[in-house]
Amino acid sequence: MLWTVLPTGAAEALANHLLSLDEQSPERFKKVAHKRVRVTLTELGKPFTVQALDDSLRFSWVDNEPVDCHIMTRIAVLPELRDTANITRLIKADALDIDGDPLLAQQFSRLFVELDIDWQEQLAQRLGDVPAHFLSQAFARSRSWLEQALDDQKHWVRDVLIEEKQLLVSATEFDVFKQQLQQLRATVDRLEREIGKRKSK
Amino acid sequence: MKDSNQDTIDFGYKQVAKTEKQSLVANVFNSVAQKYDVMNDLMSFGIHRLWKRYTIDCSGVRSGMKVLDIAGGTGDLTAQFSRRVGPTGEVVLADINDAMLEVGRDKLRNRGIVGNVRYVQANAEELPFADDSFDIITIAFGLRNVTDKQKALESMFRVLKPGGRLLVLEFSKPIQPMLNQAYDFYSFNILPKMGQMVAGDAESYQYLAESIRMHPDQATLKGMMEQAGYEQVTFDNLTGGIVALHRGFKF
Repeated sequence: MLWTVLPTGAAEALANHLLSLDEQSPERFKKVAHKRVRVTLTELGKPFTVQALDDSLRFSWVDNEPVDCHIMTRIAVLPELRDTANITRLIKADALDIDGDPLLAQQFSRLFVELDIDWQEQLAQRLGDVPAHFLSQAFARSRSWLEQALDDQKHWVRDVLIEEKQLLVSATEFDVFKQQLQQLRATVDRLEREIGKRKSK
Repeated sequence: MKDSNQDTIDFGYKQVAKTEKQSLVANVFNSVAQKYDVMNDLMSFGIHRLWKRYTIDCSGVRSGMKVLDIAGGTGDLTAQFSRRVGPTGEVVLADINDAMLEVGRDKLRNRGIVGNVRYVQANAEELPFADDSFDIITIAFGLRNVTDKQKALESMFRVLKPGGRLLVLEFSKPIQPMLNQAYDFYSFNILPKMGQMVAGDAESYQYLAESIRMHPDQATLKGMMEQAGYEQVTFDNLTGGIVALHRGFKF
């Protein structure tokens, strides 16, 4: 109903604006122009349709017309679809169903994955060169500070859990344990086969 | 039907001769054409854009299709359809009122929407197109102004291709009594004053409010569409039934 139109309209405007900021977008649009992809997520129930026009996208929750590719899956599975190698495994595991051309969905996702916006340039066009440079520097410094702070916190948590409280094992210890376990499993398997052979005799 | 068998017809709450209604409606739209878009945004608080967007989403429009936008006025639907049908398709913007068509044509051209749009001054009751010409026909906020609605629905049916669909977006009857009362108050007390202030024309907006009340309700319009030959006729109430979108197919 009507409530479905407002979020899709807003998302569509945002997506098309972002796409228009990259000069390479028209080239990527050529591969998907006038194609339609639909995603049905089990959790949401309603199918979401994306239609590519010559230079923009259209989103809809109410479109029921035929599409070129229909993907039926769960939200949790979506990140795994980035790697084509996973598709066959997911289909076999009944976690994914694709009706139509699966490459088309990837071409649609490339519109955003390969999006390369020169934010400094965009800012310069709106604010002027000097403020844009100042803001970009400030942003880069903040990001680097934040990354450093996060990294420090991660180290601190790791030291507390592994070294001080000894609640977890270190990655190296875990790898050694995993390797030993695999060797043990191989030995047990070999033994099982031996016993099986002797029993059959 | 009342529309077809009587000599008089409603023009808002007044009864006028059938032959008169067309020119009276023309006067209304000649008067409001220049301020039409501003008034639409003001009167509906911008919600008319969502109603129209919902209509487009339900239309099933695809690249290469041929679309007829009847009573297309200032071209809101035509602009959207034009992008969606692409260079291989065509959108015909038809309106009986030359002033509205002129405003629509200027607006779309200024926005660079050219090439696949054709402008035709036409009466919805006697559409000047060959049988089975269009994949989609829309009439948004236009049917209530047509003198003989049944005849218009039949005319649209004739020019629609088999497999094609008609979408009628029109004011209708709110389903909640409370909403109905609030809507009545707004329509008869605020709307004409707004029309006076912005478009300098209270009477046209008084007519708008009255014509909405005289328009067939959801079920009646559905029956009229079925009588005209449309199949699988359904309707969706939008904003509590203030507006309804009727859909019907020709098979």
